[in-house]
Amino acid sequence: MATSQSADIRAFLGGGATEDRLAAAHFLVGAAFLVLGGVLEVLALFAMRFGGLSPMSLGRLEPMANLTLMIGFLVISLLGGVYYVLPRLTGAPLRSVVLARVGLWILVLVVVSGLGTIALGFGDGSQPLGLPWWLDIPLLLALSLPAINALGTIARREEKRTYVTLWFVMGGVVWLPLLFAAHVVGTLPFDSSLTQTYSGLFFSAGFVTMWVMTVGTGLFYYTLVKEADVALASRQLAVAGFWSLGFAAVWWGVAQLVFGPGPGWVDAVAAALGLAFPIGALANASNVSLTLQGHWERVTDRPGISAGVVGTFFGVVVAVMASLASFRAVGSVTALTSFWEAIEYACLLGVGPLLVAGVSFEALPRVTGRAMRSTERARSFLRLTVVGVGGVLVTMGAAGIVSGYSWLAGSNSAAFIDAGEGWAAGASAADPLLLIAFGFAIIAFLGQLAYASAVIGTVTSGRAVPQEVLVYEAADE
Amino acid sequence: MSDLSAAAAAALGIPEAIVMRSAAARASETGMTVDEVLAAWAGGGSLDASTPSPVSEATAEPSPAEREITPPSVGERPTGPPETEGDIVAPTPPPARLGPAPSGKPPTLVGEPDRPITVLAGIVGLFVAVLLVGLVGPSVATENPGARTSTISYSEAGHRGQEIYQSLGCGSCHTQMVRPIVSDVGLGAVTLNDSNQVLGTRRFGPDLSNAGARLPGSQIEAVVTGLGDHPGAVLSSSDLEVLVTYLLESTTTDPGQESPGVDDTGEPAGQNAEAGGQP
Repeated sequence: MATSQSADIRAFLGGGATEDRLAAAHFLVGAAFLVLGGVLEVLALFAMRFGGLSPMSLGRLEPMANLTLMIGFLVISLLGGVYYVLPRLTGAPLRSVVLARVGLWILVLVVVSGLGTIALGFGDGSQPLGLPWWLDIPLLLALSLPAINALGTIARREEKRTYVTLWFVMGGVVWLPLLFAAHVVGTLPFDSSLTQTYSGLFFSAGFVTMWVMTVGTGLFYYTLVKEADVALASRQLAVAGFWSLGFAAVWWGVAQLVFGPGPGWVDAVAAALGLAFPIGALANASNVSLTLQGHWERVTDRPGISAGVVGTFFGVVVAVMASLASFRAVGSVTALTSFWEAIEYACLLGVGPLLVAGVSFEALPRVTGRAMRSTERARSFLRLTVVGVGGVLVTMGAAGIVSGYSWLAGSNSAAFIDAGEGWAAGASAADPLLLIAFGFAIIAFLGQLAYASAVIGTVTSGRAVPQEVLVYEAADE
Repeated sequence: MSDLSAAAAAALGIPEAIVMRSAAARASETGMTVDEVLAAWAGGGSLDASTPSPVSEATAEPSPAEREITPPSVGERPTGPPETEGDIVAPTPPPARLGPAPSGKPPTLVGEPDRPITVLAGIVGLFVAVLLVGLVGPSVATENPGARTSTISYSEAGHRGQEIYQSLGCGSCHTQMVRPIVSDVGLGAVTLNDSNQVLGTRRFGPDLSNAGARLPGSQIEAVVTGLGDHPGAVLSSSDLEVLVTYLLESTTTDPGQESPGVDDTGEPAGQNAEAGGQP
């Protein structure tokens, strides 16, 4: 604990505030990329329905949208949350602010140059990011730096007891570079087509469960308890949710290739063990719900907390859908269709942004000394996201089911073949639903604009409020 | 600027402009007047609501069972973003607030004495397990004695065409993967795990594993360059040529031979020794 006031002042202005400026910078950059990614995702859905904006086909727009949303928004924004909570939970300054800044710059440069590379047709076409190998390397480096920083900070912690958020943060920052490293190794030229496909799915699924939902939920456990001022209902539930989400990562991926060329045992194992996904999501949602039991009135006027609560429950819906589709009976209809596209969309633009807002809306006033510029915009983000992304999830998911049954019916009835010139007849059955999904995507995009407006407006023109500052024990030593 | 603000600035050792902004923010938060806040900071008012010090609630070292994790590292700064840090000098130490802050409230953000190294070992161990079972295991090509291979002997131009196919992102919409299920009947031979085609994970366009047996080169070229709803790719003539070559060489059945699909037992025909027509 600080021994003198002078030490405190020096620490929080010279050292402690630096982490908070870093966190705010991550939130700002992430918000900008969310808008860009939202535009690209709308264009991708347009291409899915109408065939593309030549030469920008779905094949280029989708990896560009993925890159922007996954790395530009979800990695950078959640890292902002990580840098926000780490000093507060450990009582120690961040291991290296410079390292964190360098990491942010590399991430931004990789995303920007990756977008240009893919747009010009120099991507490698691998899912989900489509980056060429020479951009994979700096990206792997940038994803590794937060792990070094976070673990280094935890190693120097003053607070010897571990709040559950630290588990989720440790898991996320360690798993993310490992996931990407496995993806890079799995897409080397000498790897088989099967390995390359599995590694793309492995990374996509792991990114959602091991990064977005793990870190997002963990950070929300911090802001929820801090802002609502109620104790977490159950540490055991949180720990169960943590391990379940980690365990669920791979099964969602392989489940998309049900009946595919992989070994037969994978389908059965994926279906059974994939249940870990909804179990993990449900454990966390239950914990949030139990924590707020009797205190719901404390969150109704807090857009950040409301967003986090909705995000955790949205995660349950997505997890249940993904888990169901892992079973062979369902997978034979939904695999390869827009059903999975709907799930991925809901994760990247629904669960992810809601959980990010769960921490950013509450953290920004504390780290910048500025009140939310407009709580109405923050609420608009919540409403538009729920309606827009929920609508996309339902309609695009339904389109996938319609497509799947059309293929089945087509093959059975021989009314048309599901290849070549007969394809259009089969695919057109889902067209109206994809058109509606496109409309919902535009609503969701308005929500993304509201998020960016709320975040950027807060930092640039929010009303001055008391700012939370960091005070370190050993600042004067 | 007033005497009060000057006195507060002198007491805190902070530039007067910052003190005024801080006081306005604090007054807005607490419902006090700016003068009352300034008076408190200057030493003449109540400390409870107005001290702009970064004193934490845990200064008094509450018992471990009651201690919050966050407070030891958190205080409050009186105003918005820092302006001129260089101007700050050590201020007068203000009194600390003693005792656990929210009297009678349950502690929040309570942790337990874990060993992070153990958690870290579990995290890495779990990853290794899921990697082995979820990626490495399924990726190992298994022997299918007697089964027809789905590997296709592409020419050098075909291989270059496959690179173009990948870089264009064709695999985002097209599969080259035929599954042993009813909906894939008619697409060609069932794809096995030694396939060297671009499998893909979405089928927003037709499956192309057997495109060469289904379409002539001229039609493939027309589609690639934008026939119908298909997005037109902007390619040099040589790239277009090798891409068409790749698709023409993508044949998993002999031309004119009916695709095996699934056999009468419901098993993939490709996994029966003599079934199918893969050259």
